[in-house]
Amino acid sequence: MADAALSVRNLTKEFAGRSGNVAAVRNVSFDVGGGEFFTMLGPSGCGKTTTLRMIAGLERATSGDIEVDGKDLRSVPPERRNIGMVFQSYALFPHLTVFENVAYGLRLRGRPRNEIDRRVAATLALLQLEALSGRHPANLSGGQQQRVSIARALVYEPTMLLLDEPLANLDAKLRVMMREEIRALQRRLGITTLYVTHDQEEATAVSDRLAVFDGGRLVQVGTPEEIYARPRTLFVADFIGRANFLPARLAAPGATAQGVVLADGTSLCPQRQVRLEAAEVASLPAAEDGTVMIRPEHVALSATDGEIACRVQRVQLLGGLIRYTVRSAASPEDILVEVTRPVSDVSEGGGAFLRIPREDAVLYHR
Amino acid sequence: MATTIVSGGETSTRTGVERDWMAWALGIVVVLIAAMFLIYPLVNAALLAFVKNGEPVSVANLTFANFARFFTAASYQRALWNSMYSGVAATLLATALALPMAYAVARIDMPYRGLISAMTVVPLISPPFIGAYAWIILLGKNGTITQWVHAYIGWTLPAIYGPPGVILALALSYFPYVFLIVQGALAAADRHIEEAARMAGASRARILGTITLPLVLPAIAAAMLIVFIKSIGDFGVPSILGGEFQVLPTLIYYQIHGFFNLGAASAIAMVNVLLTLAAMATLAWIHRHRSFVTIGGTAEAAPRHTGLGARSFGNAYCWLVIVVAILPQIVIALASFAGRWPGTMLPESYTLDHYRAVWSQLTRPIANSLILAGGATALCVVFGTATAYASARDRLRARWALDLTIMLPFVLPGLVVGVAYLTAFNSGPLVLTGTALIIVLAYFTRRVAFVFRSVATAIAQIDPKLEDASTICGASWGTTMRRVLVPLAAPAILAGAILVFSTLIGEISATVLLYSAKWKTISVAIYELVLGDQLAQASAIGTITTVMTLLLVLIASRLAGKNMAELFR
Repeated sequence: MADAALSVRNLTKEFAGRSGNVAAVRNVSFDVGGGEFFTMLGPSGCGKTTTLRMIAGLERATSGDIEVDGKDLRSVPPERRNIGMVFQSYALFPHLTVFENVAYGLRLRGRPRNEIDRRVAATLALLQLEALSGRHPANLSGGQQQRVSIARALVYEPTMLLLDEPLANLDAKLRVMMREEIRALQRRLGITTLYVTHDQEEATAVSDRLAVFDGGRLVQVGTPEEIYARPRTLFVADFIGRANFLPARLAAPGATAQGVVLADGTSLCPQRQVRLEAAEVASLPAAEDGTVMIRPEHVALSATDGEIACRVQRVQLLGGLIRYTVRSAASPEDILVEVTRPVSDVSEGGGAFLRIPREDAVLYHR
Repeated sequence: MATTIVSGGETSTRTGVERDWMAWALGIVVVLIAAMFLIYPLVNAALLAFVKNGEPVSVANLTFANFARFFTAASYQRALWNSMYSGVAATLLATALALPMAYAVARIDMPYRGLISAMTVVPLISPPFIGAYAWIILLGKNGTITQWVHAYIGWTLPAIYGPPGVILALALSYFPYVFLIVQGALAAADRHIEEAARMAGASRARILGTITLPLVLPAIAAAMLIVFIKSIGDFGVPSILGGEFQVLPTLIYYQIHGFFNLGAASAIAMVNVLLTLAAMATLAWIHRHRSFVTIGGTAEAAPRHTGLGARSFGNAYCWLVIVVAILPQIVIALASFAGRWPGTMLPESYTLDHYRAVWSQLTRPIANSLILAGGATALCVVFGTATAYASARDRLRARWALDLTIMLPFVLPGLVVGVAYLTAFNSGPLVLTGTALIIVLAYFTRRVAFVFRSVATAIAQIDPKLEDASTICGASWGTTMRRVLVPLAAPAILAGAILVFSTLIGEISATVLLYSAKWKTISVAIYELVLGDQLAQASAIGTITTVMTLLLVLIASRLAGKNMAELFR
C-alpha cells in the first residue's frame, strides 16, 4: 500500500524549442523498491524535477512508461494517483488554517467528520504541529510551513511520497535538521519516497539509493557508497564529493593494463579502469588518453616520501578536516589533500611530496 | 575577519540628509501646498455644510439644517436612494460581465489575449459621458437599435433614459477595473498551490471552487468597491441619461447651478463622501483581514485550459463584451461622420461637415484643455514625486496622514472637489473664482494621486542603499535626487504624468462647476452641445478627444515600458 514499487521505463519529455525539440528528460529508466528512499540528484536543469512531475502526473510524458505496483499510470490524472507531494515553496493554501490545509485531502475523499479530526490530529502530532493547528500559513516559520506541507501530503496515506527540493528554502542548520527528520519519518512509516535535490551531501546523507542526472539523462544509479567509490563518469566523480583529476597518457598505447604516465612523468597503475562515454571522450584534449581520479582523502602527503613533488599553496582548517591545496607538475589544477591530522613538517609555502595509492585511483580513459 | 556594517531595514542613512537644507525646504513647500490646496478646501466645504447658505462660518451658526433636508425633502431622499441603488446595480453588473472575462484571459489559452486586455482600457479613458449619449443614439426614443427592433421584431424597447441606461452605461464604463484587477490576481497566482490541491485529489472544478476563487476574493472585493465608489461619484452619465432619475452628484449640480446654495451642495457632498468613506473602510477592513500574500511562490504562470470548447467559449465571450463596451465609441465615431442617419443600422450618407463646423469652435477649447491639463500635470509631477519619495522612504512619522491627504481627493466625486474649490476660493483671503488657476488646482487635487501612487511604488523598489552610496561618494541630497533617484524613477513619473494629462483632457465633473467663459474646456464644449441636442457635433469633438487620449496613453505605456492594461492596475 504505502510501500508501492515504482517502475519507470524510457521516460522522455520533449518541449518545442526555437529550433526543433528540446529534450528535458531522455530515456530515463529506473526502479524503486517498496519502502525505499530514492533520490534524484543533479545540477539545475538536469531533468530531475521534470521526471518527478511526470511521475506525479503534473507533466505529460512524451513517451515511456510509469508503473506503480504493475499498474500503468500514464492515463491516470494526478488527482487520482493517490500520491503525496511536497513542493519546494511548500504551496500551503494561504486562506486555510494548518488544520484545514492538512484536512483538505481527506475532505476530498469524503471521509466522515470524526475520522478526519482523528487522522489530522494524529498526523499533526507526528510532525509536532499540534500547537499550530489553528494558525494560518502566513504566521508560520519556514520550517513549520515545511512540516505542514509534509503533513498534508501524508495524511491520506498515499502510495508514494514525492518531495521536490523541499529544503532549498531553509537556512543551513535547519536544512540538516529537517533532512534527518524526514529520513526518520520515512523509516518509521516505511513509505516509498522519491526525493529531488541538487545538494549531493543531502542526497548521500539520507538516501537508500541515488540516481544522478545530467542534461536530461540518467547517468548512474546506485547506493551512495557505490556512487562515491565507483563513479561511472567524470561528471559523477566531480559532482559527488570532491575529486582530483590528473591528466594522463597511456604508458603503452592501447593497453590500459600497463598503467599511465602523469604530466610530470610519474608512472601509475590505477587499480580501476573505466571507459568514458562518447560525450566525455570528446572533451578530452587530443594529447591525453584519459584522466586519473583520486579523492582528496586518499592522497598521501608527506614532507619527504612520494613520487610527485609539489608546493603547498594553502592550508585550511575545515571543521574536523585539514585541507592542503598543493601545486605540482602532475596537473594544471591544484590538487586537494584532506587529512584529519596535520602532516608534520608540511606548511604553507613549503615543499612536499605526494603519493597516489593505486588501489584508490581510478583511470577514466578513451 | 571583516566587521560587518550594520545593514538596517529599508530606510536610508538619516544623519546625512537631515542636515541638508534642500530637503527641508522642499518639505515645507510640500506641507504648505498640501495644507492650502488639499486640506483647506475640503475642510472648508465640510464646514459649510453645517452652516446655512450665505452665513459666515462660526460656532454660533452651526446647524444641521442642510442635512435635515435629507429627512424632509423627497428629492433628497430619492437622490440618496438612487445613488445607492444605481451604484450597487452598476457594480453587480460590471462584476458579472468582467469575472468570466478575467478568468478567460488569465486561464484559457486564447489568442490575442494582449489585445483583449488593451481594448478594455478604451472604456476607462474615454470620458463616461461621451459614451452616455452614444446610448441615446442607439437606444433613445429614435435610436438605431430601438427602431430596428421595432421594425423587425415588433417589440417596443423601454426608453434608455432613467435607471436602466444609467446602470448600463456606468457598468460598461467601469467594468474594466474589475477585469484588470481580477485578471492580474489570477495570473499572479502561485501555480504550485493549485498543483498541491490536485495532488491531494481535487478535480479541476473543486480547485476552482475551493482554492482559486477564495484566493482572488479580496481582489474581486477591492475591484467591486472601486466600481461602486466611481459609480456613485459619476456626474456625466446620470446627467445625460438620467432624465428624472436624480442622484447625489446631479443634485449637487442642481443646487449650485439652480440656487447657488453652497450650504446645501456641501451637505449633499458630505453625504456622498460618507458613502465613499464607508466603502473605503470596508475595503481596508477586507485587506487587513485577508491579505493572502503568496510570497515564495514561483514565477511560472498557472497552466491554461487548452480544450477547444474552452477556447471557443472564452473567445466568444470576451469579444462580445468588448464589442458591447466599445460600441459607444464606435457609434460616436460613426455619428460624427454621419450625414443622414434616420435610424438605419449605418448612416445613409457620410460627411465631414460636423468636423468642419466644430473646427472653428474647437481651437479655444482644445487650447484651454491642453493648457489647464498641462499646468495641473506639472504641479502633480513635482508635488507627487516629492511626497512619493517622502512616503516610500518612510521619513515621516505621520505617513498615513500624507497618504490619506493625497488619496482621498482621488476617490471623491469630481463634483465634490468642484464644490470644495468653489466654496474655498469664492471669498476670503484668496479669490480664484473664474480664473484658470482654480481649475488647475482642482485638477491637481483630483489627479496627484496617480503620480503619487506610481512613483511611490517605483521608489519602494529602488534600493535605498543606492542613495547611501551616492552620499558616501560626496553628493548632496539634491544631487543624489537629481542624478540617482529621478533617473531611476523616471519611467514611473512619466507614466503617472501622462496618465494624469490624458485623463484630464476629458474631465467634466469638477470643470463643470469651475469654468468661466474664458476657460471653457473640450469636455464643457461637448457637454453644452449635448444639452443643446447637437449630437453630431458633440460626437465629432468626442471622437477627437477619445482618439487623442488613446494615443497619449499608448505613448505613455511605451515610454514606461509596460502595456496599457498594467498602467491602470
